[in-house]
Amino acid sequence: MTFVLDAVSVRRGVALLLDDVTATIRAGECTAVTGPSGAGKSTLLRLLNRMLEPTAGRVILQGTPLPALDVLDLRRRVGLVAQRPTLLTGQVLDEVRVGRPDVPPEEVRSLLAEAGLPRDFADRATAGLSGGEAQRVCLARALALRPEVLLLDEPTSSLDPASAEAIERVVRDLSDAGGTVVLVSHDAAQARRLAGDVIVLRAGRLEEHGPPQEIAYLQSSALP
Amino acid sequence: MSAVHVPSWPGVAASLVLVAVALAVVARARLRITRELVVAVVRAGVQLVAVGAVLLAIFKYAGLPGAFGWAALMVVIAGQVAGRRGGGVARSRMAATIGVAAGGGSTLLALVLLGVIAAQARVVVPVAGMIIGGSMQASGLALRRVDDALHAGRPAIEARLFLGLSAREAFAPHTRDALHTALLPVVDSTKVVGLITLPGAMTGLILGGVDPLTAIRYQIVVMYMMLAAAALSAYVTTRVAETALFDEAHRLRE
Repeated sequence: MTFVLDAVSVRRGVALLLDDVTATIRAGECTAVTGPSGAGKSTLLRLLNRMLEPTAGRVILQGTPLPALDVLDLRRRVGLVAQRPTLLTGQVLDEVRVGRPDVPPEEVRSLLAEAGLPRDFADRATAGLSGGEAQRVCLARALALRPEVLLLDEPTSSLDPASAEAIERVVRDLSDAGGTVVLVSHDAAQARRLAGDVIVLRAGRLEEHGPPQEIAYLQSSALP
Repeated sequence: MSAVHVPSWPGVAASLVLVAVALAVVARARLRITRELVVAVVRAGVQLVAVGAVLLAIFKYAGLPGAFGWAALMVVIAGQVAGRRGGGVARSRMAATIGVAAGGGSTLLALVLLGVIAAQARVVVPVAGMIIGGSMQASGLALRRVDDALHAGRPAIEARLFLGLSAREAFAPHTRDALHTALLPVVDSTKVVGLITLPGAMTGLILGGVDPLTAIRYQIVVMYMMLAAAALSAYVTTRVAETALFDEAHRLRE
């Protein structure tokens, strides 16, 4: 599942959110998208599951431009976990099954374990979950569709260290198993830990692209 | 039916004494709404005289086509009023107008075609007023909930879209909520009809000299038609509004 961004620009009103970005996001590894606030990181992520349309240029998946694919099928193949967890139902079991109601309860428990939660978490009410627990439930909910690509938008930015560690473990397991992960993170250390490939955006433009050890932004970044 | 006793014009003028009493109360309590009260009294009088004259003209000269024309005008006005409830919803007035026309229009036509009400202008106009008024309220309430969903429910709608749900599926909980809110008032008033209030149609018939057991037949039809019109109008309004919220790639419009 290789994505190609071909001279992609996104304009909203007078603001240019992405400016002529060309890059290849390779299959089977974790690509980190990093850069300062307002650089266009989340915009780039939302192009990949067609929650946004480029104003110029094309996004191509395995040789096919995205608009030529069935958009609902695309979103099931390319899962997205947002920065802030949004829970939709009253019980964790139902929550994990929102996208695929036929998941058997036993598989729900396995998905929760995969996301670093106890298996019996399925029986919990969603009200009163901590931010970290809620985010891991959202991750399990996305994994329930068995996506070929997982997009993560700053998934650990507001989490406690234990929850952040659990989510990082999922990312590592997925990319070790040959899955494709695109991780938006402003955390340079996290990008170094997880990514095999790094894209640096600044003010909507592609500034650097390559393996983490060659990325100046990660070396110079004052962020932890 | 016995002869209907209605107030004469001097009788109407005499009722102004009661307005004077209200004005005295307002002045004595220093409520500072004297002017507003006077304007309201004059306005009500003028509006009702004007409507009476129009209805007289319709009944006398325009017949059934005129009655349906009048109903169409009511639908347009109701659509504008209900549409305003949908503040941030794109094309909400169009959604409300279509909803009121579909819900109110089909209910009215069904009543006429089934012969439940007489196909006469003097019957169609007041019945249409009741139906369209109910449809307007239901559509307005539904649109307000759709507007709320658009503001507070955006993250939840997007979370469903991220999971590959269609726009309709992603919005379904909000559609249900909008319909529920829209139907509560009419369901409640249907439940307590006759117990808490004597509804307008029945009151009118009793004042007109019809015996109560006959009057309730009319009222039963009115209540059931109001339920149908409200449900249909709210449903159609919500669905039309919903289609304007999303684009063809199942994304919320900005």
